[in-house]
Amino acid sequence: MPKLMIDDRKIEVAPGVKVIAAAEQAGIVIPRFCYHPALGSVGACRLCAVKFLDGPVRGLQMSCMVEARDGMVISSTDDEAVDFRRFVIELLMRNHPHDCPVCDEGGYCLLQDETIAGGHAMRRSMGKKRTHRDQYIGELVQHEMNRCIQCYRCQRFYQDYCGYRDFGVMGSASRVYFGRYADGALENPFSGNLIDICPTGVLTDKPARFKGRRWDFQRAPSICIHCSLGCSITVNARYRELVRVEARRNDDINGHFICDRGRYGFAFANHPDRPRQARINGRDTSYEEAIQTTTQRLSEIARTLGPDSIACLSSSRAGVETQMSLKFLTRSQGWRQPGCFVDRSEQNSVTAAVGRLTPERVVSLGEIEKADLILVIGVDPILEAPMLALAMRQAQRAGAGIIILNPQPVSVPFAYDHRPISPDDLCSTLQKWTRSISSQTRTESHFVEKHEEYRGPETPSVPCPLPPVDSLLQNSRRPMIVCGTNIVGTAIIHAAADLARDIHSDCRFPGLFYVLPGPNAFGAAFASAGGKSFSDILPDIETGNIKALILVEADPIFQFPDQERVKNAVKQLDLLVVLDYVPSRSVGFAGQSLAEMVSPAPLHVVIPTLTHFETQASFINQEGRLQQTTPVHVNGLPMSQLTGGKHPPRKFRSDVPGAGARAAWQVLSELEAVLSSTPADSITFADIWYRIGLAWNISVENRTEIPGNLRILSTTVESEPMTEHYRDD
Amino acid sequence: MQILFQNRQPDRIASLEEYRNSGGYEALTLALKKYTRAEVQQLALDAVLLGRGGAGFPAGRKWMTVAESAPFPRYMVCNADEMEPGTFKDRVLIHTDPHQIIEGMIIVGYSVLAEKGIVFIRTSYENAARIMEQEIVRAKEAGFLGKNILGSGFSMEIAVHRSAGRYICGENTAQMRAIEGKRANPTQPPPYATEKGIWGLPTVTHNVETLACIPHILRHGPEWFKSLAATPTAAGTKLYCVSGRVNRPGCFELPMGTRLSEIIEDHAGGMQEGYQFKACLPGGASTRFLPKSFYDIEMDFDAMKQAGHRLGTGSIIVFDHKTCLVAATLNMIEFFARESCGWCTPCREGLPYIREILSRIESGEGCNDDIPQLRRMCRYLCNTYCALAPGAVSPVESLLTYFEDDVQEHIRQRKCPFK
Repeated sequence: MPKLMIDDRKIEVAPGVKVIAAAEQAGIVIPRFCYHPALGSVGACRLCAVKFLDGPVRGLQMSCMVEARDGMVISSTDDEAVDFRRFVIELLMRNHPHDCPVCDEGGYCLLQDETIAGGHAMRRSMGKKRTHRDQYIGELVQHEMNRCIQCYRCQRFYQDYCGYRDFGVMGSASRVYFGRYADGALENPFSGNLIDICPTGVLTDKPARFKGRRWDFQRAPSICIHCSLGCSITVNARYRELVRVEARRNDDINGHFICDRGRYGFAFANHPDRPRQARINGRDTSYEEAIQTTTQRLSEIARTLGPDSIACLSSSRAGVETQMSLKFLTRSQGWRQPGCFVDRSEQNSVTAAVGRLTPERVVSLGEIEKADLILVIGVDPILEAPMLALAMRQAQRAGAGIIILNPQPVSVPFAYDHRPISPDDLCSTLQKWTRSISSQTRTESHFVEKHEEYRGPETPSVPCPLPPVDSLLQNSRRPMIVCGTNIVGTAIIHAAADLARDIHSDCRFPGLFYVLPGPNAFGAAFASAGGKSFSDILPDIETGNIKALILVEADPIFQFPDQERVKNAVKQLDLLVVLDYVPSRSVGFAGQSLAEMVSPAPLHVVIPTLTHFETQASFINQEGRLQQTTPVHVNGLPMSQLTGGKHPPRKFRSDVPGAGARAAWQVLSELEAVLSSTPADSITFADIWYRIGLAWNISVENRTEIPGNLRILSTTVESEPMTEHYRDD
Repeated sequence: MQILFQNRQPDRIASLEEYRNSGGYEALTLALKKYTRAEVQQLALDAVLLGRGGAGFPAGRKWMTVAESAPFPRYMVCNADEMEPGTFKDRVLIHTDPHQIIEGMIIVGYSVLAEKGIVFIRTSYENAARIMEQEIVRAKEAGFLGKNILGSGFSMEIAVHRSAGRYICGENTAQMRAIEGKRANPTQPPPYATEKGIWGLPTVTHNVETLACIPHILRHGPEWFKSLAATPTAAGTKLYCVSGRVNRPGCFELPMGTRLSEIIEDHAGGMQEGYQFKACLPGGASTRFLPKSFYDIEMDFDAMKQAGHRLGTGSIIVFDHKTCLVAATLNMIEFFARESCGWCTPCREGLPYIREILSRIESGEGCNDDIPQLRRMCRYLCNTYCALAPGAVSPVESLLTYFEDDVQEHIRQRKCPFK
């Protein structure tokens, strides 16, 4: 462990750490442009110069290029180093346009900061500035090449880190150009990160262009809900409108980056048709009336037809609080247990995956990068969990082998060994490898027998002409099994878990990584334990056994494959309540006027809810990590929609227009309180977490702020037994 | 004493027969049959064969850094990407006696067990590239290349690779990337090229002139090679290229360490009528100006280093008293600013800035602040990623050191005093 001194501070760092990173550990940030922790050091910008006063290296050197070694004495404030850095800034500013007042980066531009910090205020060069032609590189990223300071970060990210080739560096000397060979949209599904890593305004957020300055924005840390990985993001809003999303560093999960779906997929929160007002039978009404009408009808139905005639459905995009509030509501009223899935096989798959994750096997996305062999079963990473593809690419760059078992062709930005095994043979192949490995590593026969019961329906063994994946697995030290839950059934999910369990040995530490079908599918597995999926309760609706249906941020009318069937079934209900924040099909169905409805006196209620940008919400990602969002702004009609994109209104008003929505868990808690005749105004976020803590038997000390490293696994929390429905699966 | 130029003809290249008649490919037979690989390396080390490309690194030591256990295939690169302004010795050598270069490559290849040879040649040297291609075929036909050379079990193939045409491709690490088909940006060791070079495999690169020396060392021994030099610490002969206003410009093979005055007066025929020696660049455009006070300096690596200069490629560009050195320096900076690879800031942005200031001074628009600003840039341009910028500012820095009065005169008169 090298011990060195930087700016009179003694520090000890791990071997192989560069001086610039060592200084950062001591709290000293050495200026830089080209250095980026995720992209490594290349010594191009020459801004991180420091003076080595004593030790094995002497003189002015780039701190990103020198490894920290014992006995080094380094000064980052030495006159020569400071003057050299000022010189580098002066050189870069020779060609940089002075367009900061109209540049979107202005205000949080690294070049701007360093220029001011370095004290460069006067341009001594009298020559003309270099100019370039900008390119059209798609609707997501704006290109403004004149501002470029040639740090090569974009090219290194795009080509080396991500493995896409359509954007890169061209030309030489002072005509170096970063762009595409011709105008056209970027092909990289992670291209938005170019905006975050560009140290100046060459690559900026196009949809957010001219929407405001950094200091105008309301900003809050949040979680991406576009897949089950739960990447960390920072959300920016202005005038009640979400403007842009940035990646937030989280070394456990997404590192420094996020995918484009996560970055640009926030328009639902600004949707002009978003439900903002409670509706009863197609008529706008007050929230209070909606609650009162709903509770009255619910009590009636429960009294006349029994509590079993009321069904509730949530979804894997609803937060933990919402899912669990629904569970508490049904339990207190004795209704049917809530479901969280539209399709039974999806519920089975998720439940199986959640049930098989153990603390020893579960790995985070960040650990995928450290694997030396990755076996991918039935996942298309770019489609189902994009950042997983990027993590696997980093593993491969470090030397890992990647084997993808998938009957379909998959497109990923790295070389891999594709085994197109037919879906029928997949399970038996995995079982064969498991048997082959466990017979070699463990001789106790009872062990194998004991776990034989986990294996799904026995399939006839087929001759498999594949190269020996089992021996590859046995020779790796850190294998990872990545398994999907979308196209594969429960048998394969179990087979993958068995494989991970049985290849474990003293020198092998396998990881198990499931990809789930929603941001909170993990929570949904807990919340729907004992409950049925929509496809299972649909016959009961059709036969009239269920007369009331409460949909909480769920959209079966869109998601169920046979839409006519589900519409006809739902028409027979006495009461349909839809709680949601997006204008979904179900919201549209329940919100329409009932003139043409057939059922006698049906009641359709829509109650608007809040997105996770407007309220605190918790999500459990696919590895069981409980994470929380922070509200970034208050809910309400975006100013641009209020004024039609013109100047903000010049008249003051005391209320926020379109702010009638409440968090779904608040609505549900209020329903529960009214139905149970207890005071409704006392239910807070902390109360909900107190109840969840009791239900799961976990202690969450600060119940309003849950730590991001808390893992909720079926083996560590108490919950109802989660059973799978093996019928026709 | 003509060693490398022993077969030099005024109008054509030496044939394989002529080369063999003068003792050619005997060294290869010796290396393959008589010496072990370690002995070949030791011979080069004992002969103090310093790299002739400009850096002067001992050739034998370079081969010894290729580990016994290093992976295969290993590469032997002949750097014929001669683009240093004023330097043309490699072209002359290829056009004179190409087989001694090929033989040198095979011997180096054998000493490090490199079975793949690459001649990386400047794109404008198309004739030289064709000569090399043709002579490689002849050497192969004669059994000096290909499988199992002279029954030794050692095999080697040589390919000719034409550069895409940038000065930076002559830099060792950038050249390796260029061969890989990547952008020719230099990389910084470690890992060293002899450890992880082309495609991550051990690579030994030598200048054309260095390779041409090797067969002679093997045939005549290190003591003989050292005795060729004019100074006690130097070894061998050197190809000096002389250009400028001298009576007989050209490429001369002379003992290493020959005095500058002797090269110019005796071999290049002295200055032209009516012109006096003012200064010269001793080793291409990326070395410092040598003013008249160094007229008697011994032109070898050590003596030049002690005087605070660099021998470089030994290509002497002579400037007479009627030439404006500011304009000459500006011309060279034009070249370097264009040829920067664009990787690091001081080189990419600094050289055009120097060009801007120098052209202002030359056109009479300079101001007094320009000289300290130029000095500061010369100092800081030495902190770049590779050696291009430190070399590029050498003429500027020495211009300000030895000929500051000329520069001041430009600023005072608001015009170039030489025009």
